[in-house]
Amino acid sequence: MADISSDASSTAIDVRPLARRPMLEISGVSKSFGATQVLCDVSLSVAPGEVVVVIGPSGSGKTTLLRCINLLEDYEEGTITVDGAPIGYRRRGSERIRMSERDIAAARATIGMVFQSFNLFPHMTVLRNIAAAPVRVKGAPRETAEARARELLAMVGLSDKAAEHPARLSGGQQQRVAIARALAMDPKIMLFDEVTSALDPELVGEVLAAMQQLAQGGMTMVVVTHEMSFARDIADRIVFIDGGVIVEQGKPDEILFAPRTNRVRAFLKRYNDRYRI
Amino acid sequence: MNNFNPLIHSFPYLLRGAGMTVLMAATAAIPATVLGVVLALLQVFGNRILRASVIAYLLLVRGIPLLVLLTFAYYLLPLTGIDLPPFWGVVLVIACYYAAFMSEVFRAGILSLPQAQWDAARGLGMTRPLMLKIVILPQALRLAAPPYVSLCVSLVKATSLVSIVGLWELTMASREVVERTLAPFQVFIGAGAIYFCICYALALYGRHLERRVLHGH
Ligand SMILES: Nc1ncnc2c1ncn2[C@@H]1O[C@H](COP(=O)(O)OP(=O)(O)O)[C@@H](O)[C@H]1O
Ligand SMILES: [Mg+2]
Repeated sequence: MADISSDASSTAIDVRPLARRPMLEISGVSKSFGATQVLCDVSLSVAPGEVVVVIGPSGSGKTTLLRCINLLEDYEEGTITVDGAPIGYRRRGSERIRMSERDIAAARATIGMVFQSFNLFPHMTVLRNIAAAPVRVKGAPRETAEARARELLAMVGLSDKAAEHPARLSGGQQQRVAIARALAMDPKIMLFDEVTSALDPELVGEVLAAMQQLAQGGMTMVVVTHEMSFARDIADRIVFIDGGVIVEQGKPDEILFAPRTNRVRAFLKRYNDRYRI
Repeated sequence: MNNFNPLIHSFPYLLRGAGMTVLMAATAAIPATVLGVVLALLQVFGNRILRASVIAYLLLVRGIPLLVLLTFAYYLLPLTGIDLPPFWGVVLVIACYYAAFMSEVFRAGILSLPQAQWDAARGLGMTRPLMLKIVILPQALRLAAPPYVSLCVSLVKATSLVSIVGLWELTMASREVVERTLAPFQVFIGAGAIYFCICYALALYGRHLERRVLHGH
């Protein structure tokens, strides 16, 4: 993988053959909040259609990593590309150049993000929540965007809620609308940040099912979750992060049942003690 | 009841004055609102120089009584060679004055929106102007609506000051009637009642908006 990052650094646009080009490539990203370093030289490459689950203790930098990917959080070092296109920073030789706000916004439109707290727009109906960005950002005709929004609502099982406002929906329903809203932009990759953590236990299943379906449809996904059995089901690869560094990564069964490092073992033991699995 | 004859006879005249009051208030409220939103946006998003200028403006305007500003403008405007009809001069001063208070109300509305709303909008690829237009301002203005309506009530009452610089509206009309009828109490009870009705109607509307904000949309 070492040659790939130097490869990418020589040109702005990745020209490797499609099959070999990662959908998401994070190279050498470091991020601090003031004096505390939260991400230390993180590199991660995700293949098209791959589902990577990120686990780790609270405060380890999982949310920050996801937020750096679509530049909701700025980072001091490193670069990130999605499908070969830089997000936020380009490399020219050894120089790292920040893209214009307009280009960054356009790049963000290719990344779908779902938050722990749903973050739907409370003043818009469910349908408008989903169709607004395709119409206003991508310039899609309203009828097309709304027809697509209804398709997506049907996909997440909420066809009858199109005209409701978010406040009238349960948490699980709101989160499924949030997933539909992200999908409406036809993203190349979807990021999920503990999307079931704010939900009542009985509502978790419906959201996980929607994600499961998405993964089966071939969507490239980076998923931060504490639902270990879900992680095992959905992940092609699990990445364990602690203290802002990737400590260990591998196939789900390797990480969950045969971890190589003590930190992962300790994390899983704490987790299992808490949830008695 | 004979005592109230002067009021009853002059009531249509007072109502015409009230019409002028409402016209003046509405004409001033519109630019005040627009300027208030602009000042709020500059204060939240402007660079350091813009922010400092806005803050200086707010401090200045809010630290001077409206009556002083009106009188000052009354003497100053002719000297600057700006040939503005008195009505428009007064509307301009009231608008600039109330814009300062309105901008604070709008700014509070913008800042009280959770960061998460910005994140969601940015995450969908919206540029800042688009976010402001379809996500931030619609919510911020709704949050600001109740205190905004209170300011409008205050603006209506403030128009009574313009009689000082010779403009005709409800208060001026009342004073004219008093000069003719020598019945100050009856006439000003009538004028007060008219002001109260206008302001009470606005306040009720504000309460209605407040309920809508509190109970979702
Ligand atoms: N906006 C912020 N300002 C300052 N520190 C922050 C901010 N966001 C996160 N942090 C810190 O960064 C570290 C990683 O946080 P986060 O990425 O949220 O971890 P995780 O999602 O793994 O729980 C924590 O120590 C947290 O306190
Ligand atoms: Mg987190």
